[in-house]
Amino acid sequence: MAASPDATGTRPANVLRKAVVIGGNRIPFARANGAYTQASNQDMLTAALDGLVARFGLQDERIGEVAAGAVLKHSRDFNLTREAVIGSALSPETPAYDLQQACATGLETVVGLANKIKLGQIDSAIAGGVDSASDAPIAVSEGLRAVLLELHRAKTVQQKLTTLAKLRPKDLAPNAPDTAEPRTGLSMGEHQALTTAAWNVTREAQDELSLASHRNLAAAYERGFFDDLMTPYRGLAKDSNLRADTTLEKLAKLQPVFGKNLGAEATMTAGNSTPLTDGASAVLIGSEEYARSNDLPVLAEVVDSEAAAVDFVHGKEGLLMAPAYAVPRLLARQGLTFADFDFFEIHEAFAGTVLCHMAAWESEEFCRNKLGLQKPLGAIDRTRLNVNGSSLATGHPFAATGGRLVATLAKMLREKTDAESRPTRGLISVCAAGGMGVVAILEAN
Amino acid sequence: MADRYLDLVNAGPVKSLAKKLGLPQPAVLRRYRPGAPVLPGPVLVLGSGSGADVLAKELLGWDLDVRRHVAPKERLGGIVLVLDELAAPEELADPMLTAGSSLRDLAPGGRIVTISRPATGTGQPAQAAARQAVDGALRSLAHELRGGATGNGIVLGEGVDAGAPAVLGALRFLLSGRSAYVNGQFLLVGSGVASLPANPDRPLAGKVAVVTGAARGIGAAIAETLHRDGARIIAVDVPAAGEQLAQVANRIGATALQLDITAADAGAKIAAHAAERNHGLDIVVHNAGITRDKLLANMDQAKWDSVIAVNLASQLRMNEQLLASGVLREAPRVVSLASTSGIAGNRGQTNYAASKAGIIGMVRASAAAFADAGGSINAVAPGFIETAMTARMPFVTREVARRLSSLQQGGRPLDVAEAVSFLASDAAGGINGQTLRVCGQSMVGA
Amino acid sequence: MSEVILGEMPTLSRLYLTAASTAARHKLGVGQQADQLPAVRHTVDGVHIAPERVSGFQQLMHGTVRDTLPSVFLHSVAFPVVMSVMTRPDFPLPLLGMVHLANRVNHLRPVHFAEPLTVTAWAEGLRGHHAGTQVELHTRIEAGGETVWEGVSDYLAKAVYLPGLDKALRPERTDFIPPQPTARWRLGPEAGREYAGVSGDFNPIHLSAVSAKMLGLKRSIAHGMYLASRVLTSVEATASEPFAWRIDFAAPVFLPATVAVRIHDTERDGSWEASEFTGWGERSHRLHFTGSVNTLAG
Repeated sequence: MAASPDATGTRPANVLRKAVVIGGNRIPFARANGAYTQASNQDMLTAALDGLVARFGLQDERIGEVAAGAVLKHSRDFNLTREAVIGSALSPETPAYDLQQACATGLETVVGLANKIKLGQIDSAIAGGVDSASDAPIAVSEGLRAVLLELHRAKTVQQKLTTLAKLRPKDLAPNAPDTAEPRTGLSMGEHQALTTAAWNVTREAQDELSLASHRNLAAAYERGFFDDLMTPYRGLAKDSNLRADTTLEKLAKLQPVFGKNLGAEATMTAGNSTPLTDGASAVLIGSEEYARSNDLPVLAEVVDSEAAAVDFVHGKEGLLMAPAYAVPRLLARQGLTFADFDFFEIHEAFAGTVLCHMAAWESEEFCRNKLGLQKPLGAIDRTRLNVNGSSLATGHPFAATGGRLVATLAKMLREKTDAESRPTRGLISVCAAGGMGVVAILEAN
Repeated sequence: MADRYLDLVNAGPVKSLAKKLGLPQPAVLRRYRPGAPVLPGPVLVLGSGSGADVLAKELLGWDLDVRRHVAPKERLGGIVLVLDELAAPEELADPMLTAGSSLRDLAPGGRIVTISRPATGTGQPAQAAARQAVDGALRSLAHELRGGATGNGIVLGEGVDAGAPAVLGALRFLLSGRSAYVNGQFLLVGSGVASLPANPDRPLAGKVAVVTGAARGIGAAIAETLHRDGARIIAVDVPAAGEQLAQVANRIGATALQLDITAADAGAKIAAHAAERNHGLDIVVHNAGITRDKLLANMDQAKWDSVIAVNLASQLRMNEQLLASGVLREAPRVVSLASTSGIAGNRGQTNYAASKAGIIGMVRASAAAFADAGGSINAVAPGFIETAMTARMPFVTREVARRLSSLQQGGRPLDVAEAVSFLASDAAGGINGQTLRVCGQSMVGA
Repeated sequence: MSEVILGEMPTLSRLYLTAASTAARHKLGVGQQADQLPAVRHTVDGVHIAPERVSGFQQLMHGTVRDTLPSVFLHSVAFPVVMSVMTRPDFPLPLLGMVHLANRVNHLRPVHFAEPLTVTAWAEGLRGHHAGTQVELHTRIEAGGETVWEGVSDYLAKAVYLPGLDKALRPERTDFIPPQPTARWRLGPEAGREYAGVSGDFNPIHLSAVSAKMLGLKRSIAHGMYLASRVLTSVEATASEPFAWRIDFAAPVFLPATVAVRIHDTERDGSWEASEFTGWGERSHRLHFTGSVNTLAG
C-alpha cells in the first residue's frame, strides 16, 4: 500500500488501475432568482461538498484532490474550489483546483480526476461543479476598466486627472454576462434553433421529450431515487424546475422563445429548453482499493471518455453538435454499439439538442459524410434514455450538470447490475458552449 | 429555547426576591461533564445488610468518599439507601429518617438512590407492603428535594444482587450528572448480562449506533451524545431534513443516511448501510417522530395514520427487519422514544399518545426477543423538553409545563440523550423492556 | 498623371472642414466646379503605425490583438490620403453626403505594424449612376518596396449629374429573402463614434444622431468599413494573406441596430477558399450588405 504514511497515491504509474464512482451528492437545482438567490457559487459548492462528506463520513479526511468549476465565475473566485474545500468539513489539507470547460466542466472534472486515479497519482477525489445565474458576476464596462487600470499606472496627479477625464457616462453602465457565443453574438438557444430547424425536428417531438423528462424525474423522486444523491439546501428539497403535472397540452400552449427571426418555424419554447438555474454537485471517486479499505460502496467504473469540438462559427456545424462526433469516436475506440448500453444520459440543454444528436446518428448521410461510417450508428432505445429525467426537468446549472449525470447514471447501473446480476454499461453525453462536447462511458459489474 | 426565568432567578437580586415572594426557584441542574466526579461530595450509604456493604465497597472504587454513618454538618454528594432486605414496613423508618436528617446537608445537584426489591403478588404481604412503601416514600422525597437534587430508585429483579454489574451500571447513571432530569423514577434491573465500561467516559467505545430523526432537536442531541460516549453514528432522517442532517453528521464524524423510515424497506436499508460502512450494528435509537395534534372530535384519518405510521408502525417493522438482517452484533440494544403523553395522555394528542403508549407496549413485548439476541430494548419517555417544537407552544402553556415538575424547569435534549446513551450501553444490560421517564418528575402522569 | 508627395499624413478633421467650406461655397455658387477627375496621385511616405492604435482597432472588432495589421485597418490608415484627393479644389464631386457603394481590396501579404508604409491614392472611373455620379478611389499601400495592399472604393455623389456622363439605368430590384444567420451583431448608438475613435474617420454621419441629421439622415449610421471589418475579423483565423475581399453596401445601418449576418465558408482540397457574407436587419429583413473574401494563394 502506501509508500509512506503521507503518500497521496499508492501505485506506480506504469500499471493502470480502475477508477470508480463511489457516490454523489447535489443540492436540489433552483430556477434562477429563486431559493438560492442569496447563495454564491462558493456557498453552494460548499453545501454540495458537505452533503457528500456527511453521506460518506469523510469528515476531516484528506482527499487526494478536489476539482470543480463554475461557468459564470466572479474574479474573486479565482480559487473557488479550494476555498469551498477550506469551508467544508473535509480536511483543510485537501488540495483542489478549478476547471472550466463550459457546460462540460462537471464531466471533465470526473474524467480528469479518474485519470489521475487510474495512474496511481491519487487514491480518492471529489469532482464537481457549481453555477449561479442569480449571483452572476457583473463586470465594469471595458471603458471604465481601461480607465481604472490606467489610473492605477498613473504616477502624477496630473496624469490621474487626465486619465479620469477620459471617463464617459456610458462607461459607468456595468456589463452583465449573457449566454451569447462571443464569436457569433447568437445565444445558445438561437444556435440550437438553427440546428433544430436544419434537422427538421418538430415542436411535438421536443415537447414529448420534455414531458418525458419531467415525468421521469417526478417518478424518480417518488420512489426515493434521489434520497442518497441529494442534500436539501435553503429549504429546497426538490429541483424547483420540476413540473410533475405538466402535459403535452400545457407545453403546446407555450410561445416560442428562440429562433423567431430565423426564417424557419420557431419551435423552441421555455418548456422544451432549460431555464437559467442555480445549483451544485459533487461526485466521490476513488480506486477500488480506496473504496474497499474505507468501507465505501462502488457504484460504477469510469471507463473512458472523449471530447470533440465542431466548427460552428460560420455555421459549418451546429453549436451543440459536438457530442454527435464524440460518441462515435468513443464507441469506435471501445468497439461498442448502442445495443451494448443499458442507459443513455444525454444532457438536455434543449430538447432539440438531444433529438438532433439522435437524428444525426440515425442519418445515413451524416454518418457517411461527417463521420466517415459505412452505415448509420442507428437509433437509441428511448426506454433507456434519461430514464430518471434530465436537464429539462432538473434545470441546468452549467458546471453542476456533469456531476448530476455521473452520480445518477452510476447509481442506475449499480441498481441494474444488482437486480439482474450482470454487468451494465451507460453512456453520458454533454454538449457545451464553444461548439464542444464531452462524452463518457461508465460500467458496473 | 432559553429558559429566561431559570437564568434570572439564579442571578443576584432577583434570586432573593423570588425566594421572598415564594416564586418557583428552579436550580441549574448538575449535568455530566466528561472527567467530572460521579458526585459533588461524599456519598452516604445507608442500610445494614450485606448489599449495603458490597455497594459501599464498590463506590469506594469510583473515587468517592463513602460514609456509612451520618457525620453532622458534612456536605453530602449523595445518599444511597440500600433497602433490598426489607421484610416489614417498620424497617423503613430508620433509613428514611436517617436520610431525612441529612437532607439539609445535601449539596446542590445531590442524588438520593434507593435500592429495593419489587412488590410482587406472590411474596409475604408484609414484605410486599414494605417494598411498595419504598415507592411512595421515594417519590415524595423527590418532590421535597431542592437545588437540582434528585431521588430515584433501583428495583432489583429476581435473583439480582445489589452488587451485580447491572445494578452498579444503573447506580452510576443515577448518581452521575447523566441523570440530571431523571427524578422520582424506578429502574427495574433484571438478570440480563451487563458489563461496566473500561473507561466510564467512553461507555460506547467501539459501538455502531443508528439514530433516526437525527437532524435536529432531541435526535441531534442523542447522536452527539452517543458520539461523545464513543459510538460511531449513522444519522438518519427524512430526505427533506438532509441539510441539517448533514450538519449534524459532519459535526460528529457520522454518516448521513437520508431515509423515510415509513418505507417498507427502511430497516433493510439501515442494515445494508451499517453492514457496508460499519461491518455491523450495535445500537438502534428510534427517535424519529411526528405530532399531528387535533382533538379527536376533529381528527381525520390522515393525521391519525401518519402519526401511527411514523411513531410506531415503522419501529415495529424496522425492529423485525434488523433482527432478521444479521447485521446486529452481540448485545444489540434498541432504545425507543416514548413520551409522558403516552403515559398520562394529553388533550389533543390521542393519535400521538396512542403511538407513544404503543412504544411502551412494544418494548415490553420485544424484550424477550432482544434478550434472546443477547441484547435489550427499552424506551425513554421525555417530559417537557426545551426544543424548537416546545418553543412554538403558547407562552403561558409553556411556562406552566416548565414549572409543572419537581425540578420546576423543562429538560434539555441532552438530558434525554443521556438516558438513551445509558440504556444503549452495556452497563444497562440488566434493564430490558422498561420505559424510563426523563421528565424532572413531572406531575403529568405521575 | 502627376505625383504629389505630401510631407505628412493629412489631418482628417481639417479635410472635413475643407470639404464643408467647399460645399458651402458651391452652394453659394462660388468657385468653379470641375467636371473631370484630377489626374494626380497623392503619396505619403514613411507612415508609422502606433501599436496602441492597432490594438484599439482589433479590440473594437472583437478580434485578437496581433502584430499584423487588419485589412480594414490599413484602409483607415490610407483614408486621409484618399480624402486629400477628394477634397482637392479640382475634385468634381462634393465629398460631404457622398455614399459609399462598395469596396474591393487585395491584401497581398501580412503587414507588421512596425513596417513603414507608403500610401498612394488617386481617383479614376468617373461614370454615371442611376442616382447620380459614381467614382472610384484607388489606394495602394507599399512596404519594403512592394505593394502589400491595394483597394478600390466606389462612391456615389447623389443627385449630381456631370455633363458628358450618361445616366445609368436603375438595376432591377430583387426581393431579399434572409438566409439562416450565423451571427448577430448588436450595434449600440455609440458604434459609429467608437469606430471613429479607432479609425480616425470622424465623418459626422457616423458620430451621432444630431450630427447625422444636420446632413439629412434620420439617425447616425454604422460605418461601412466597420461592418466590413467585423466580417473580416470573423474570418481572420482561417483567411490568411494573400486574399481579396469585397463588400457591396445595399442600405445603411441606422444605429442602434441588430444586424443578422451569414458567413458561409467554402473549402477546396480541405483548405479555406472563400467566405461569402450577407448582412441584413434582423427584424426589418432589409439587406444591408453582401460580399466575399477569397484566397489569392495558389
